[in-house]
Amino acid sequence: MSVWKYKHTTPTVIAQKIRLLRSEDLIDLASTDLERVRATMMKTAYAEDILAMQSERLDSACFETALMRNFMRTCKKIVEQSPKDVKALIDTFLKKFEVSNVKSILKSKHAGLTSEEALAFVTPAGRLNELRCREILESSKTVRDVVEQLLDLEYGMMLVDALGEYKRTQNLLLFETILDRYVYNELWRVAGNLRGLDKKIAETVLGLEITSANIRIILRSKMLGLNRDQTLRHSVAVSGLLDRRKLEEAVDSTSYDDCLRRLLTAHKPSLTKDYQYMLGGVLEAFEASHSVVRLEHALDENLLRVNLRMLKRYTQFFNIGLILAFTNLKWFEVRNLRTIVKGLEEGIPSSEIEKMLILTH
Amino acid sequence: MSVELAGIHPTRQELLRLRRRKSLAEGIIDILKKDLDALIVTLFDFIKGVSSTRDRIDEALGRAYRLFVEAQMIAGSKKIEETSKVVCPIRFDIAVTAKKGVLGLSFPSFELVREAGEDGPRFSLLDTPASLDQSAMQAADGFVHIVKLVETEASIREILDVIAVKKRQVNRIEYKILPQLDAAIRYIELIIEEAERQDATRVRVLQRKRKERASKEVSDQRPQNGSSQQP
Repeated sequence: MSVWKYKHTTPTVIAQKIRLLRSEDLIDLASTDLERVRATMMKTAYAEDILAMQSERLDSACFETALMRNFMRTCKKIVEQSPKDVKALIDTFLKKFEVSNVKSILKSKHAGLTSEEALAFVTPAGRLNELRCREILESSKTVRDVVEQLLDLEYGMMLVDALGEYKRTQNLLLFETILDRYVYNELWRVAGNLRGLDKKIAETVLGLEITSANIRIILRSKMLGLNRDQTLRHSVAVSGLLDRRKLEEAVDSTSYDDCLRRLLTAHKPSLTKDYQYMLGGVLEAFEASHSVVRLEHALDENLLRVNLRMLKRYTQFFNIGLILAFTNLKWFEVRNLRTIVKGLEEGIPSSEIEKMLILTH
Repeated sequence: MSVELAGIHPTRQELLRLRRRKSLAEGIIDILKKDLDALIVTLFDFIKGVSSTRDRIDEALGRAYRLFVEAQMIAGSKKIEETSKVVCPIRFDIAVTAKKGVLGLSFPSFELVREAGEDGPRFSLLDTPASLDQSAMQAADGFVHIVKLVETEASIREILDVIAVKKRQVNRIEYKILPQLDAAIRYIELIIEEAERQDATRVRVLQRKRKERASKEVSDQRPQNGSSQQP
């Protein structure tokens, strides 16, 4: 029975969700200083990771490491208590961070960094824990060596084919696109393996996330003046939510407005409400500012709102909606704290920091 | 001021030649001063351009930095640092040509030429925010203004060099050539005046002598005439 399988996960997630910082707390933090942020965070779920920070250093990089460590620990806790199919989904979600580590290692080798320097960019996640990352870094001298070291994981096999182009262009973006495409494909595939309400919720939430990623790529490409082929080359997998042909039409459109309007109609009829809820706000935000930066912010904000909307719609807690919503809420909390810390370090006014936070109200 | 007068022929022809040279030198000073005025007006135009270009650089780089910090705030400073280590640098070259300006002077013209690089985005479209691209665009815009500033400063330096040369020329004419000419003219005039005075004296002496000779001859002839009339 679907409800029964969440008997351990749901209480854990609810307990974690209660410990999330409220929007007001985040706004308050934006008008303090790094010392106060540290003191405040010592009273939250981040205490353990903040304590692990080197006390003599109080900079954004330290906070970032602590925040990421906390996020990974939280996800791990949920994975441990999740039922098998949900565990597969969260594991796949965590592949985003594994992939991020693969990218970091590839970049480090490309830039010729030492293992220690490279490890500063790595956030141990999933199968790529600190030990494995160190081993890969220390036993490889070039990008090709890294790819060969990764052959025991699925990433190595995918990247081998792109080595030729890397050798020619000395550009790592192709590797990054391949990895991103793989993760989003996997997320969509694993979401499809769920059943009933879980499948519906997961496909909606993850489908919108994939769509959001594609919209981001299309609009950014428009900003950079990339042509159709380049845009499609960098786009991630198309989820089942969107009609591929309509997406390509959006790529071909000449203006941002036209592109967004085409995207607004490019969804499956069954998802009209959620999709339009997400993109409608984005279109409004763009019309008000005509800035791709603000548009990206609106996309993130609306994606989070869709998560919460799903949570309210399916009020019973014993489904995957709560886990997905919490994971996203937690991720955006980490991102908001990172924004606040960096903003405070750079002396950005609190009103400006506040504008950059992804808040739920 | 010591003036070399030894080689000057104190003749009227030389005087005329020197006077012609003096009026020519005065004409040259007049032209040089007009050139200086034109150069100074252009210099001030360039100087005004410098401050506005500096403002534009300040604005573009300030915006670039704000957007860069925004990108760090969104994606995390580690991610941006990591990206910065592998990003393909934009290679710029500066095309130097010359353009004609005031008084037909040729000023350097610098143009920022972006070397053809890899097509496509420079940063990951998913891992980095759009503000990073915008920051890079603003920084590139800042470079254009920096090159413009360099061009203006090179033109200012060129103008200052020309102004210095012209000033030296004016000073040389005003404080060296003209005094020399004046001295030479004065010297020749004095010599000629002296010669005229000597000539006048000589004429007077000659006239006096002629008169004396004439009167002597008259007095010599009178007794002869008197003895011939006696029986």
